This record gives sequence, C-alpha cells and structure tokens, in this order.
Amino acid sequence: MSDIWSAAYTATKKGKSGDINLHVWRKRVGAPEQGKKDLPVLFMVHGSSFSARSGFDLQVPGKSDYSMMDWFAHRGFDVWTVDHEGYGRSDWGEGSFSYVEDSIDDLNATMDVVERETGARTCSMYGGSSGALRAALFAARCPEQVERVAVGAMVYTGKGSPTLAKRAEKLDIWKSSNKRPVDYEFFTTIFNRDKPGTSEDIVAVALADSEAPLCTHVPTGTYIDMCANLPIMEPEDVKCPFLLVRSEHDGIATDEDVMEFFQRLPNKDKQFVMMDGQSHAATLGINRKRFWHVIERFLSMPPRVDL
Amino acid sequence: MSDIWSEEYTATKKSDGGDVSLYMFRKHNGAPDKNNPRPVLFLIHGSSFSGPSGFDMKIKGHDDYSLMDAFANLGYDVWTLDHEGYGRSDRTGGNAPISEGVRDIEAGIDVVKRETGLDKYFFYGQSSGALRLACFAANNPDRVARCVLDAFVWTGEGAPTLIERRKKLDQWRGSNTRPVNREFYHSIFNRDLAGTSDDAVPDALADAELPLCSEVPTGTYLDMCANLPVVNPWDITCPVMILRGEHDGIASEEDLFNFFMKLPNTDCQFVIIAGQAHVAPLGINRKRFWHAMDGFFQMPERLDPHIAEDQKVIEQRRLAGNKG
Repeated sequence: MSDIWSAAYTATKKGKSGDINLHVWRKRVGAPEQGKKDLPVLFMVHGSSFSARSGFDLQVPGKSDYSMMDWFAHRGFDVWTVDHEGYGRSDWGEGSFSYVEDSIDDLNATMDVVERETGARTCSMYGGSSGALRAALFAARCPEQVERVAVGAMVYTGKGSPTLAKRAEKLDIWKSSNKRPVDYEFFTTIFNRDKPGTSEDIVAVALADSEAPLCTHVPTGTYIDMCANLPIMEPEDVKCPFLLVRSEHDGIATDEDVMEFFQRLPNKDKQFVMMDGQSHAATLGINRKRFWHVIERFLSMPPRVDL
Repeated sequence: MSDIWSEEYTATKKSDGGDVSLYMFRKHNGAPDKNNPRPVLFLIHGSSFSGPSGFDMKIKGHDDYSLMDAFANLGYDVWTLDHEGYGRSDRTGGNAPISEGVRDIEAGIDVVKRETGLDKYFFYGQSSGALRLACFAANNPDRVARCVLDAFVWTGEGAPTLIERRKKLDQWRGSNTRPVNREFYHSIFNRDLAGTSDDAVPDALADAELPLCSEVPTGTYLDMCANLPVVNPWDITCPVMILRGEHDGIASEEDLFNFFMKLPNTDCQFVIIAGQAHVAPLGINRKRFWHAMDGFFQMPERLDPHIAEDQKVIEQRRLAGNKG
C-alpha cells in the first residue's frame, strides 16, 4: 500500500469544561494540495465500541486487505474519519457520555478541518451501527454538507431487535456510568454474537491489539441511546440520497424496522441492499468486499441529468 | 462502437402448431472466444417493442443509447430475443402471454448454451419482460446467476398504469393483437412524467419497430390486467435486484416492497432511481440505471463457510412460502 498517503489532524470542539480535541485521520492515493478539492471526500463514522482507525483502517497481521480506508482510497476517494469524543485518540470530557447527539458537534468540528484541507464543503458519508445513526442524524441536521449517505448495521425504532433486547438488560448499568470496559473478550462477542463464521477469528485479536494501547473503556452514551432513546430521527428528516445496507444476520434491528425507515425516506435516489453471509460488523467480515462494493457503487452513481 | 461484434441467431420453440422461430441478437466487444467466455447477460423485452429496438437503440446524433453496446463494452456477452409475435420472430396468431414468454426464453438459452458453453447467466427483464423473467427464474433456478427485475409489478394493486389499462380489458380479451403506431410509442414515454426521456427516443423506437410490425400480441397486457400475480416471490431463489424508476406507474412502491420482503434469497437489492419513469433504460438518466445494474452483476463472490447451509435455508423458505 505504498502509494497511500496519510495524515493525522486535530479537530476541536467546545466541551462543557473546555476544548475537546478530536483525532482525525485521512488517507488517499498521493499527497494533496492544501485547500484544493481534487478527489471526492468520503467520511467514515464509527460506532459504539471501537475507534475510527481500528475499525476503518485495521491492520491485520498477514493480511493486507482489511483497511476500508485503503480500499476506498484506491478507488479514488479522499477518505477521512474521526475518533468521536471518548474514543481512541480523542479527548474525553469529564462526565461526557458521548451520545449520538454529541457526535453532531464532533462531525461539525471535523468538517471544518476537511474544508480547510480539501476546499470541499460537502462530502459523502458512511456510518456503521451507532455510526449510522450519527451519520444519518448529521445528514438531517446539516443537509448542505452531505451529498450521499451510506449506512450499515442501522436501526430505526429498535423494535424486535435481539441485540438491543439483550443490551437493554444492562440499561441501568449504562445509565449509571459514562464508561464501559472493553477488552479482547468483548471484541470477540461483537463478531460472534450474530453468526459465528462470518468473520475471521484473527480480526477480534487485531482489533483488541489496536484498541488496547488507546483505551480500556468507551463511552456508554450510544448504548443508552440505542436501548432507551430510539428513534433518534425520523426518515423524513434525511433528505439526501441514501443507501441502507442490511446484513442478513445482524441482530441490531429487524428487517421490517429498517425497511420501514427506508420506505419513508423522502429522496427517491435510494437503495436497500440485503447482504447474505454478513453479520453486524460487516465491514470487517469475511465478505467485507461485497459490502464495500455496494457502498462504492452507490457513491459513484453518475450525476443526475435533467432536461 | 466499431469494436463491437454482433451476430443473429434463431431459437426454435416447439408448439402444437409446429416450430416457432425466434429471432436472437448478440453483441460482444470483439469476437467471442468459446474457450474464454465472458459472463452472459440476457435481456428480456416487454409488451410493446422487440429486443434490439429497445436494447440496441440507434438515435441519430447520439451514440449512447444502446444498452447492449454499453454492457458489451463493460465485458459482458449480451443477448436478446424477440418473443413470439414481436419484431423479427414468428407470428402464430396466439396472444403470446407471459407463460409463452417463459417458453421463448427456455428456447433462447439453448442457443446461448450452444454458443457459449455456459449454463448460468445474468438476466435483465423490463416491464412484462420482468414478469417473464421472474417466472423463468422460478422454473429454471439452475440457469439464472442473478436477475434484475425492472419496471416490475407483483399484484398490481394501486398501479395507475394498470388501472388505466384495465379499462380496455375487453379489447385485450377480444383480440390476440393490438395496434402500435408512432403516437403509441410517444405515450409510453410520457404517461408517467413528461421530460424523463428525450423526445427523439419514441421516434427512434417507431422508426425501428414500424417496419417490422403494425401490431403486437395482447397476452402480456391481459396478464397484467387480469392475471396478477403470475409469480410468487418465494419461488425465485437466485439473487434479485428490484429496479424501479421513481415515477413508474406500473406498480406501487408498496406492492414491490411486499414482493421484495418475501424473496427467499437474502442477496437482494431494492433500488429506486430518481428522475426515471417506466422505460428507464431509455430515459435521460439511463446511465444511472445501467450503473446500478452493472454493480449488482459485479458483486464479488461470497467467501464465508455458510453458502451450502444458506442454500438449504433458501429452499426451506421457498417451501414455507408455498405452504402459505
């Protein structure tokens, strides 16, 4: 991957007790010229349990093809991501739960950096799991900044979701503390809770190795949101073109729940894709390239021509 | 497009009245090599015009209306067929309903198998061609790798176009053919939302079709007005894409969502193309449409260990669907 250029940046948002610095990571083929938009910007939004680079730029020993950022960089995108407050290399403000709502400030702060560095005032977004909620909510709140949104592992109301029913059993714990512990055992559960065999065992190991130096705990806010505060938004609020990718075995939502969300999206440039042989963390699954392929095709849709 | 190779073939369908010859047309970037076959894409036309007229359209001053050329240049071996009673194929006096269209495709794939050596193909069907394809896929699961159902309708409930078409149901029942003319072709492109296609398209279509015919069969119109549903979603076991033009009046979105959610194979996609009407592959935004199709066909292969197990699950869903 020697043709990939990368850089780290810092975005700053105002926290309750001072500035919160957020770690921003960027990859693309070849070095950019500052302020010049020469490639379409794709912004990736992480979920509840691990930070951006661990999920989207994962380095797995002996494997060269787990980085979603590299894959999209090679397909002509200028790929960006951010560690939300409390995750990875970003600050964690005292007492912050880092709810989905809070991530809007994270993304706004980061978009300032993206604009400064690329000249781009708009981007496409991908979000997975609670990152899907963050991305969709950002698209609803800041429609002028989002061209197209692709989401995976999305949930709308949460009704009938096996994963959320299980998670809600610990709602009191999530509410009582803004921190929950993560370790190798926990990461293993992410990949095996839906359908063992849909990812390689080595992925959880690589993820744990990537996250352990950065954190022992992550915020509980998005867990609380998904257990107690759904729906976060209504589909009618999201006006941009939308791709909803649903993995066959993903327990975070039911087919019916996400299909209802899709049906009510107001923009008729939209796609609902069911992926067989995939579970919740599909971007790191054995069939991840099918998932990435679908997203890339959606993002590279030729521009609409009207008379 | 001088690098595009093309050839005509004849498929033969057996019928009680004797053999029915069906015209087939094939396009390929460069001459095909049977030892190195490309993926076959088989295109199935609808109720009102024949295969090459719609899928290999020539418009003076535009070199980018041929779906066959576009997909040949993407690396596909592209085939189409004129169904019985259409274009360059035989007329038997019958009304060529969807069930006959399925038999036409079955005859057509014998030729494809002979010429390519391949057993499974990508399929695209448009309007009643999507119904023919869906029925064919249900009957011939071993021959369909992936299928795109465009401008499809399942039950027809709430479909503005079919509500209008049913007003002439007695006419469709009373005759095996219906007349077509230039005015009719214009109506196809303007009935949903004027401006979603170039006015030159219906004229080009009329120029291509009217030398071949002045009437087409009524069977698929009759099926769509009076005999829906003609296929059960749970019987289609291959990967399916439902492709829908935003303004297409042939079906309601709800009808198609209901169909989609009952498909037994979870490798499936529901794609709506904004700014498109019923005949989307000839619309102004046809390249968005083609892009989505190609993406579906180009899906990388699955690599997980559950593929055989999932085939059993698909079969269980098919059986469960038929038990009600």
